[in-house]
Amino acid sequence: MILIRNLRHQALDIPSLDILPGITSVIGPNGSGKTTLLKCCVGITEPAAGSVLVDGLPPRETETGWVNEFPDRNILFETVADEVASPLRFRRVSCDMISGRVDHQLGVMGIIHLRDRAVRDLSGGEKILVALAAALVHSPRVLVLDEYDSHLDAGRARTIDGILRSGGIPYVIRCTQQMETAALSDRIVYLENGRAVHHGAPHEVFSTLSGSAFYPLSLRCGT
Amino acid sequence: MRVLLDNTCLSREGWSLSARGIFAEGIHLVSGDTGTGKTTLALMLAGLLPPSSGTVYREGISSLMVSFQFPEYHVTGTTIRDECISWGVDPTAILTAANLRDRLDHSPLKLSRGELKRLHLACVMAREYDLLVLDEPFSSLDCREKERVCIEISHRTTGVTVIFTHEQMQFPRVDYIWEIAHGSLHSRGSIPGAFEVWEHAPEMIKKLIARGKVPENITPSDLLEAACRT
Repeated sequence: MILIRNLRHQALDIPSLDILPGITSVIGPNGSGKTTLLKCCVGITEPAAGSVLVDGLPPRETETGWVNEFPDRNILFETVADEVASPLRFRRVSCDMISGRVDHQLGVMGIIHLRDRAVRDLSGGEKILVALAAALVHSPRVLVLDEYDSHLDAGRARTIDGILRSGGIPYVIRCTQQMETAALSDRIVYLENGRAVHHGAPHEVFSTLSGSAFYPLSLRCGT
Repeated sequence: MRVLLDNTCLSREGWSLSARGIFAEGIHLVSGDTGTGKTTLALMLAGLLPPSSGTVYREGISSLMVSFQFPEYHVTGTTIRDECISWGVDPTAILTAANLRDRLDHSPLKLSRGELKRLHLACVMAREYDLLVLDEPFSSLDCREKERVCIEISHRTTGVTVIFTHEQMQFPRVDYIWEIAHGSLHSRGSIPGAFEVWEHAPEMIKKLIARGKVPENITPSDLLEAACRT
């Protein structure tokens, strides 16, 4: 379990929040602190006060994967193959193994045809898929995705959902503005003004949001 | 006022996009899978990318604006105030429109991505353009902001507006549907006739049509009205 206690950082103020294994969607208005919370969960940001523990360990002592909401900020290397290989190279995995794992991951993601392309020449959605492949290639315990789906078509987003479900990653924490996507999560955290105002199963959280713009249109329309 | 694509084609190694057709006055929605060339077409329409062959004619268009998918690509000011001034718009009015009051002296790159998108769209929408090209205008916006921006776009009654988007739920009122598939741009015509042939129609619209409830348009209120129709 991910235990968040007395977390304070910038506008974020969360006295207590437990994140169970599975897929958790973080939703809420722009500027409510979603990205800050995600960065604390993945260890990119050390909170000014309080703690985040992943199964008893700080995030920086846990295998984590991260996809930034700004697609270009994920990219370090020239080609797709080098970008996806980079987490393995940083961990000194042998060259023979790296090549096989990179090709396997690109195949799973359906982007093996991009293998030798320059990342900078890709579309926004393709850049996100490359970043996601790089985040998944070293089998993280915690995978954190910040608005990855705002650049993906519906079919591709469904494929990625399937990969996340079947990938054996203990914790997937994602920020999304697609409420229909959030509704398919195991749990939802709704943030507003830095506070976790609602959290729980999707039907519990959405029942408190009916009448707001965050209530899924598909539920309003009964489809 | 119209944009005419006369047998335009853009080719790169192992990839090509061909497009022909007329974007008349009104609001056009262009859908297509990731990597099929939506941004490429947006840049061609706006004259920022020359086609490999064919011609793009912008007839009667005296002002145009393209809003990039990534709002960070537009930033030139070191403060939000400077950023607004660089667009030639009043910073106070823009920040009110974007719900970002009291942030005038912040760096635009310190905003969250959704906030930066709000700021950028408020600057874009502050002026009228004969041709307005919006590449993924709803990405990163929260649900409330998507609603607000959709209403604002729906109120555009003159000029040619072309929206490229993956969005599945929140749309403005649109007049014409286009799709990019198999390396070509396809006109699906005007709504509601376009529903019959719109391959990338959002799942919810497909479900409503399968139940015989054809919405008048694709705004959330149109979909709700169709769903509740007896």
